[in-house]
Order: sequence, then C-alpha cells, then structure tokens
Amino acid sequence: MTFETFLFVLAGGLVLGALYALMATGLAVVWTTLGIFNFAHGAFITFGAYLAWQVSQTEAGNAGYFAGAAAAVAGLFITGVIFHLALVRPFERKPNVVLLSVITTLAGATILENAIDLVWGPRSKQLAPMVPGDATFFGVTTSKNQILMIVLVLIILAAVGAFLRYSATGRAMRAVAQNREAAELMGLDVPKLYAGAFGLSAAIAGLAGLFVGSIHFMTPSMGTDPLMKALLVVIFGGVARFTSPIYAAFVVGLVEAFSTYYVGLYWTPAVLFGLMIVVLIVKPEGLFGKYERSV
Amino acid sequence: MSTVPLLELQHLSGGYEPVQIFRDVDLVIAHGTSTGLFGPNGHGKTTLLRTVSGVIDPWSGNILFEGKQLNRPGERGRRRSRNLNYDVFTRRRMNPKNVARAGLIHVAQGNLLYRELTVRETLGIAPIAARGRGEPGDLTEKALRLFPRLSERMNQKVRFLSGGERQMLSVACGLIAAPRLLILDEPTLGLSPKLRRELADAIQAIKADGVPLIIVDQDVDFLKSLIETLYLFDHGRISGRIERADMPSHEEIMRMLFGEVHS
Ligand SMILES: Nc1ncnc2c1ncn2[C@@H]1O[C@H](COP(=O)(O)OP(=O)(O)OP(=O)(O)O)[C@@H](O)[C@H]1O
Ligand SMILES: [Mg+2]
Repeated sequence: MTFETFLFVLAGGLVLGALYALMATGLAVVWTTLGIFNFAHGAFITFGAYLAWQVSQTEAGNAGYFAGAAAAVAGLFITGVIFHLALVRPFERKPNVVLLSVITTLAGATILENAIDLVWGPRSKQLAPMVPGDATFFGVTTSKNQILMIVLVLIILAAVGAFLRYSATGRAMRAVAQNREAAELMGLDVPKLYAGAFGLSAAIAGLAGLFVGSIHFMTPSMGTDPLMKALLVVIFGGVARFTSPIYAAFVVGLVEAFSTYYVGLYWTPAVLFGLMIVVLIVKPEGLFGKYERSV
Repeated sequence: MSTVPLLELQHLSGGYEPVQIFRDVDLVIAHGTSTGLFGPNGHGKTTLLRTVSGVIDPWSGNILFEGKQLNRPGERGRRRSRNLNYDVFTRRRMNPKNVARAGLIHVAQGNLLYRELTVRETLGIAPIAARGRGEPGDLTEKALRLFPRLSERMNQKVRFLSGGERQMLSVACGLIAAPRLLILDEPTLGLSPKLRRELADAIQAIKADGVPLIIVDQDVDFLKSLIETLYLFDHGRISGRIERADMPSHEEIMRMLFGEVHS
C-alpha cells in the first residue's frame, strides 16, 4: 500500500467517521435523556434527506441547500416531538418502558419508511453536492463536498455540545436525565424537556440525512445501515461524555474504511461487530468509559 | 389577614398502587407557622409529602395551597383490568412542576440530586421555580452565605460531595426556590453530630427569615426548636397534635407512641 492509498483510505474513514458521529450523537441525546433507544432514528435520517431533496432539488422546490437544511431540521424536530408523544410518552410510567419503546419506535420507523415510499416512490434519488469540484491534498483527491461536510459536522457537534453544556435548557435536559424526580420537585417541565430532547435528536438526524443524501443514493430504506452504525457506535463507545460517541464514531469509520480496503466490503460488518464484541467483553462500559447517562 | 390557610389537606388518602399507605389525613397549616411531622420509620410520612408535592397522585381528598386547589378533584380512577394501559386513560391528577412554581418546595429525603452536574450547575437550576412568581432577586448568594462549604466546591460534581454536603446543597436549592412553604424531609438523616448542628443552624436561620417549614425528623428536641405545631403520624394517620407550649421531651413522645416497653 502506497502512502497515497493510505491517505485515500484515511480520508474515506474520516468522512464515514463524521457521518457516524452525527448519527450517534443524535441517538445518544435521546438515550442519555430518556433512557431509551430510538429505533426510528434511521427513518429520521431518511426523512430528513427526502425533505431536503423536496425543498432544494425538485422542479417545485428549488430553494437551495440552506432552505433544504432548514426544512430538514424543522420538519424532523416536529416529527421527533410527535414520535415521542405517540410512541414513548404513553409508556413512560411503565417499568418495562425500555423494552416497549424498542418495539414502538421500530413500528414508527416502519410506518415512516412506508410513508416515504408512498410519497416519493422507491426510485433512488441523490442530492447534488453542496459544493461541486475536487480538491487535492498531498496527492490525494477528494471532493470538496466531503471536506465541507466534515467541517460542517464538527461545527454542528460543537454547537450541540455547547447547547447541552452551557445553555439553561441543555443543563435542564441533563438534570432530568439524571434524576427525574428531583428535577420535577425543582419545577422543571419534564414532559417538555423530554419532547425537546427527542426533537433535538431528530433534528440532528435530519441534518445527517442531508449529508448522507449528498454522498450516497437516497432510497426509502437508506436509514437502516446508519441506524445499525449509530447503535454500534453508542454501545461501543459508551455515552459517559458527550464526546465519547464522537471518538467512537471516528474509530468505527476508520476501521470500516481500512477493513473495506483490506478485508473487503462484504466482511466489513462482521469485522466491526466482531470488534465491538471483543471491546464489550473486555470493557462492558464501552470503549470510552462508563455506560451511564451523564450528558 | 385573610383566614385562608397556607396549606390545607382535606381527607387526603394515597399510596403506591395498589397499596394504600395513608388515609384520611386532615391538616391545616396557618400562615407564618411551622409544622413538625413525627412518627416511626416506614409509616408513610415521606409518601404523604410526596403526594402533597405531586410526585405521586392522591387517591382521594384535596390539597389546597393558599386557597388554590393543587389536585384535580375526585377519586382516583380504579383499574378495572390488569391488561389495559391505564396511564393512557387516566390523566395525572397532580403536576409537580405547578406545585413547585406555586412556591411549595419539597426537599426530598435522601435526595441524590444530579450526579454528573456540578454544584454550580445544580444551584443554577434551583431558581426556576421562583421565576415568573415575581420573587425578589436571586437568592443564590444568600444560600451560599448560609452554607459556605458549598462555595468552596462550586466546580465539583455532585457525586463527589459527601453526604452532608449533598444534603446542604439540597436545602440550599430549596431556599433558592424562594419557598412560600418549605418541606424538609429528614434533612439531618445520617449526618455526623457536627454536620447535624451546622445544618440545624442553617435551617434555624431560614425559619428566622420568615419561611414556614414542614419538617420531618426523628429527633423531637431538634423539631421543638423549630416548630409551632407537632403532628404525630402513625400507621398512615395523624394520631395526635401537640402545640409548642405543651410539647413533651423526646422520651415522653416515644412513650406516647409506643407505650412503656420501648422507653
Ligand atoms: N416507591 C415505592 N413503591 C412502593 N412502596 C413504597 C415506595 N416507597 C415506599 N414504599 C412503602 O411505603 C411505606 C411508607 O414509606 P415512607 O417512606 O413513606 O415512610 P416514612 O414514614 O417516610 O419512613 P422513614 O421515617 O423511614 O423515612 C413503606 O412501607 C415502604 O415500604
Ligand atoms: Mg421518610
């Protein structure tokens, strides 16, 4: 393997890592706040991509990327809140809410995917790249689109992290996550914060969909693989800190890129899940610390 | 002065479905008075207070705070089937958020607060209940003057605090919420004598500032220094009411509750 090839694969891994980081962070926001896994997260990614496509790339809607992103964020925030009210809230006080919400969010995902198929059809679509053209660094050529995407992802993650860490609402979300009853007694509006966390998570998924759609083809089932990867990243990396799934996402992205090059495309999922199992046997709390809801 | 009491409980019953813990509790607290609740372990004092602050729904009866009813009236919805999700069909009858924002602040027994938040962040959440009630300024500084230990630990996470420090933080948060009535559920539980005295002094200062208290404690002599009326609580009922003037010593109360054998 030449140095150029190495850099080429490395660049691919970073692109994947950035995407996974965005997906996993969205998933982790719900997991750390409500204590459940949202299996509709993949469908949220799909829906975000299609909303952005509808607004920015069709005859009817030609409003440009920024409007597409705004539509994805706003549309998915609302979708997230509705999903929370319909699929999670009714079971909130049940002791087995974690298990129940697995199946209800999975059901929600299926319904949303079918609705997308009904509205936009099964034919694959693609979002045009945000910026056209290629750029060359150290003899490696990548599209400017991918570089811009990595930068944007890092900015979005920093913004979400700052929101959770420094804003009053973010602080309240973390408090509710850790002790719901104490938060209620202090006068925090717990249902609103839960719905808000779900909406925030979905909005992040919508942005992830926008990026995925500009790199791969869009189909109604395009969210399945991202959901799998986001789950893998969150469990593999742990959620002790806001940054844990982000590091883990880049590890997974790089492993995937190099494994695809060396081992081959078909065996890569097996390599990833094998790696996850080994990590969990050695470190059940996840690669980057405590398997606990903190941020 | 109005004759509307600060807090009034009328025939209040409640518990943890399906077990009833307390029944027919009647209690009237006048403005400007502090109340003690004393009774054996496990007889439902905490459950009663959790009902008053809306963490769990009452089964029947009314909770009136400054004349305003806090619970939606009526009997609790009976579960006719184990197989139906009654959480969907029955609306909650209390909203703890509204109770706290009305100024009825409950400092819970053994409150663990927020493990991963710093002391500073926790204190930053506390004023939320006071906001929008037109309360004067921020009480954080005042609380820190009362608990100087906390200001040394502002950037520590709550899970690194000692039990006593966490208890102080809990009470400080209650104070910062600008309570019209402050419920303290065994604030000195499990503390060393020295910390206990420190906390007792702080509570004394809060009371001296004109905040009415409802306070649960196992030490009658400690209660005596704080309250005007003591209620004895026994097997989920109020079994006695004693005014400050004829408040007996710890031993006498134990005799009243348990007879001679326990001394
Ligand atoms: N979350 C719960 N679910 C079901 N039952 C509970 C729950 N919490 C407490 N109980 C039961 O309710 C009864 C009353 O408990 P409670 O904590 O109200 O008593 P207490 O008078 O506050 O006691 P202590 O003085 O020890 O604090 C106990 O028998 C207890 O087992
Ligand atoms: Mg108790």
